[in-house]
Amino acid sequence: MMKKIISLIKTDLNITYGLSALQYKFNNKRDRLQTILIAIALLSLIPTYIMIVSGLVKIYEAYIGIGQKTMFLLNGFIYAQLIVLLFGFLYVMSKYYFSNDLNVLVPLPLRPKDIVGAKFVTLMVNEYLTSLPIILPFIIIYGTRGKEGLLYWIYSFILIIFLPIIPLALASIIVMLFMKYTNIKGRKDLLRVVGYIILLIALLGFQFKIQSIAQQSVLKGEDFFLEMAQDSNVLVRKLGLVFPPSLWAALSLGNYSSVGGVFNLLLFVGTSIAVFWIMIQLSEKLFFEGLIGGLEVATTGKHKKVKIEDLSRSSLPFLSIGLKEIKILLRTPVYLLNSVLGVLILPLVMVISTTMNGKEVLGALSMLTEGNSHIVSLVGIGIITMFGVMNCVGCTTFSREGKSFWIQRVMPIKARDQIFGRILSSLFVQIIGIISLLASLAFIINIDFENIFWITTLGLLGSVAMTELGMVIDIFRPLLDWDNPQKAMKQNLNVLIAMGIGALYLGGVGFLVYKLFKTGVNILAIYGIMGLIYIISSYGLYILLKNLIIRQFSILE
Amino acid sequence: MLKLQNLSKTYSKGTVKAVDSVNLDIAPGEIFGFLGPYGAGKTTTIKMIVGLLKPDSGRVFINGINVWKNPIEAKSQISYVPDSPEIYDKLKGIEYLNFIADMYEIPKDIRQERMEKYLEIFNLKNAVGDIIGSYSHGMKQKLVLISALLHEPNLFILDEPMVGLDPKSSFQLKEIMRERCDEGKTVFFSTHVLEVAEKLSDRIAIINKGRIIALGTMDELRSHAEERESLEKIFLELTE
Ligand SMILES: Nc1ncnc2c1ncn2[C@@H]1O[C@H](COP(=O)(O)OP(=O)(O)O)[C@@H](O)[C@H]1O
Ligand SMILES: [Mg+2]
Repeated sequence: MMKKIISLIKTDLNITYGLSALQYKFNNKRDRLQTILIAIALLSLIPTYIMIVSGLVKIYEAYIGIGQKTMFLLNGFIYAQLIVLLFGFLYVMSKYYFSNDLNVLVPLPLRPKDIVGAKFVTLMVNEYLTSLPIILPFIIIYGTRGKEGLLYWIYSFILIIFLPIIPLALASIIVMLFMKYTNIKGRKDLLRVVGYIILLIALLGFQFKIQSIAQQSVLKGEDFFLEMAQDSNVLVRKLGLVFPPSLWAALSLGNYSSVGGVFNLLLFVGTSIAVFWIMIQLSEKLFFEGLIGGLEVATTGKHKKVKIEDLSRSSLPFLSIGLKEIKILLRTPVYLLNSVLGVLILPLVMVISTTMNGKEVLGALSMLTEGNSHIVSLVGIGIITMFGVMNCVGCTTFSREGKSFWIQRVMPIKARDQIFGRILSSLFVQIIGIISLLASLAFIINIDFENIFWITTLGLLGSVAMTELGMVIDIFRPLLDWDNPQKAMKQNLNVLIAMGIGALYLGGVGFLVYKLFKTGVNILAIYGIMGLIYIISSYGLYILLKNLIIRQFSILE
Repeated sequence: MLKLQNLSKTYSKGTVKAVDSVNLDIAPGEIFGFLGPYGAGKTTTIKMIVGLLKPDSGRVFINGINVWKNPIEAKSQISYVPDSPEIYDKLKGIEYLNFIADMYEIPKDIRQERMEKYLEIFNLKNAVGDIIGSYSHGMKQKLVLISALLHEPNLFILDEPMVGLDPKSSFQLKEIMRERCDEGKTVFFSTHVLEVAEKLSDRIAIINKGRIIALGTMDELRSHAEERESLEKIFLELTE
């Protein structure tokens, strides 16, 4: 039995991360160039990361200042675990229910436990890739700054290993329950995705509620400051209630030399194992029930009279292409989750983290912007422009055509229509991003009409450039040979490359704007320059794209 | 109508010539059968005609337009039905047809009339509101056929059109092909079945290992004295 599971895990890891294919690729000269390109794209993300880490050192010192340094660790664990949870919802949904291997695995003599267990392990690897970059800086800064002992590092290692288990297992349970109870006959793909987004928002709302309760309890006691001076864990104990496992992890690592530390470590590890075990047991009951029928497709039923005259519509070619892209995006769960959640996550996280860190941060934030509300607009424009890549629409637009790509190539479609139509579909997602960003900004600070105007107009302009950038990369090396839509979007390296190059571009624009802003250039001039940069790059990329499309459409095999 | 000049192609992964200096000249109003065993180079040739595969050398003219120089003009003259119907599973049948019609910029009333006609012929009218993902292989194939007929192409190109089609539809398709050429339009189709080529085509080219080895009407091919032996061998393969 064990052997079977291990083989299952091995195969799954191999397929998911394309290990064999990677090896094969590296022996090929042309693909080696690509690998190098990808490495460069990844390297370009490093400066941003370094900036964030050096900011963390300041936060560490601030907590030392108020005698609550364990809070620093709590922040790290909460961020890491909540993000694992958030991504967990995405990964679990597509891995458990929308992956192609199900057609092969389900008929095999395997128990649901085995399938879910193997998929869980693969996802763990995925989650380490997410959690390590978040938690490591916190642990390393705390450990080196405070010159902590060997035991600290041993505790850290154990905690890091167990960190993703609870959030991922919780996500698995919730998703399996969700899928079981939404397994209704009929058109369910869109329904499920919409329901799923509502579920996520409800869970976040629940999270807010707990947070505000925790925060209120912090400020309640009369002798709060006295308490704080006496007990260096008091803030952690109160705020950690938001996600208790993170509380245990922080307390255990913050007090590693005492009995309390051991106790909390055991609590953390024990709970992880227990939650995992419960998840596996539940999977026996839940997994197949959410699945069966999940692979069938809806039809409108028998012999309904269809009137063609009501159904035939005509529109301009580029509109038709855009509409077709949007329809497919909305009807393919993996696409919808990746594109729409790509632009929803940041606004959501912004709202969470401000509510979590309470009034002080809020005060600091509004102090920073009070004097000049244009900072909000500038940052907002930057975020929306970044969404232009993060929504993954542009940089996978041709890859998503897959084996149907021939349709686009044999028809007399002008490159211009291809470009306009596909940009349109990206802007559709961008508008969702703009609305959610503006809503979350309005929730955190006050925004006025001017903010809305600039963020919307310049944000959309920037999105056009970013979408085109993604399209340039995607038409240059489209990933067409897939049988699972997941590959076109989630496992497509074009996304990573586009993000790297997009970050560089945006970093450059951001740096220029920052310099101009500091030297006191008129704000309207700055908006003008930003707009001009976006328009010029959009136009330049348009010309490049047009030529590339004509060339690639003719030479692809 | 369709003219191939010295068309050649070697796949980047392969070493053998998949298509080797093919020359053809097909007149308007002709039904032309492209006959050959599996792996002979039929699909490769067709892909080079419709713009999916760039030839290593040689030229393709449609109505005097060089396909690889003026792709948009050339493509608006043709329709292509591939050997396997890989289309958008997430669109409804009718959405797919409208999409294709939009690309050829067919006016609303005309497309409506043609959709009505062909959906009726291929018995697909009731399924057209459903998602293509729910279609059987044959239904998808018929949908692709209909979409290819919407703009009444001057040159209709089909790769192995009869494979996988039910007898009734395949009869209908033959009728449509005949109708097209009566209107002066051209039909070019490939097949690996001698009988199909024999029944349908005005003229036939036989391709083997990338080379055209015989060309003419069926009667001409039969009476050809020379090369008789090699032809017979291939016929044997084609009639299996
Ligand atoms: N994508 C490809 N890569 C390499 N070789 C190919 C490819 N497609 C076809 N071939 C080879 O080209 C030759 C002609 O194939 P094809 O045109 O598909 O023949 P047909 O359609 O007549 O069956 C065959 O030898 C086949 O193996
Ligand atoms: Mg073929």
